Amino acid sequence: MMESTLEQHLDDTMKNPAVVGVLCTDQQGHNLGCRGSLSDEHGGVVSVLAKQAAALSRDPTDAPTVCLESESGNILVRSHGTITIAVHKIAS
Amino acid sequence: MGCCYSSENETTEQDPERKPLIPHPNPISKPPNGTDWITTTVPSARTDEQALLTSILHKTAQNIIDVSAADSVMMEQHEYMDKARQYSTKLAVLSSSLSQKKALTLPSLTSQPHQVLASDLVPYSDVQQVSKIAAYAYSAISQIKVDAKEELVVQFAIP
Repeated sequence: MMESTLEQHLDDTMKNPAVVGVLCTDQQGHNLGCRGSLSDEHGGVVSVLAKQAAALSRDPTDAPTVCLESESGNILVRSHGTITIAVHKIAS
Repeated sequence: MGCCYSSENETTEQDPERKPLIPHPNPISKPPNGTDWITTTVPSARTDEQALLTSILHKTAQNIIDVSAADSVMMEQHEYMDKARQYSTKLAVLSSSLSQKKALTLPSLTSQPHQVLASDLVPYSDVQQVSKIAAYAYSAISQIKVDAKEELVVQFAIP
């Protein structure tokens, strides 16, 4: 399988303590893979959040990390190159 | 889209239902409706130039919302009410399905913002962790490549 490395990486990420969801999306919000609490339909929101946050900075090399905070945990969104990752961590 | 007449101008004159009850007082000033406008002015056989002109007029007519043509369409009161009811029914159906789509949100958003705002900052280790996960995922994605195992174009066995 061509995408087995990514699938394995997502599985490994889920093994981290407190991580309950992970999602990988491309620039158009197309879901490349997801686990746990984050699913297919979140791809669009995640990619747009990262894109809008990046638009706030003038430095294209300075990729921001968006953090959505709640009492039960955080969703961290981060872009790298053409992809965006979202990680859902519950409060430890 | 576009002119009310333009898309069906081929049948305008023949179709009794679409034929205006009161003929237009000045056919020359009538907006370009395609073929019927051409035939009233130049009844001779079509040349290449005419065909070209027709296509230009046709394209132009498609980009125009023809208000005068819309005015000439007679609509009865009950017909108007029927259409209004039909449109509002369709809108109601569409808007209900639209609101269902909007309900999709990211999981577990807070109902107590003060509690979240008063809490500790996001641990920097978490930010570093997600940054590392993103970098790994990017390298994993870049390893994906097309593995051609057979020819995409094949020859049919033509004798």
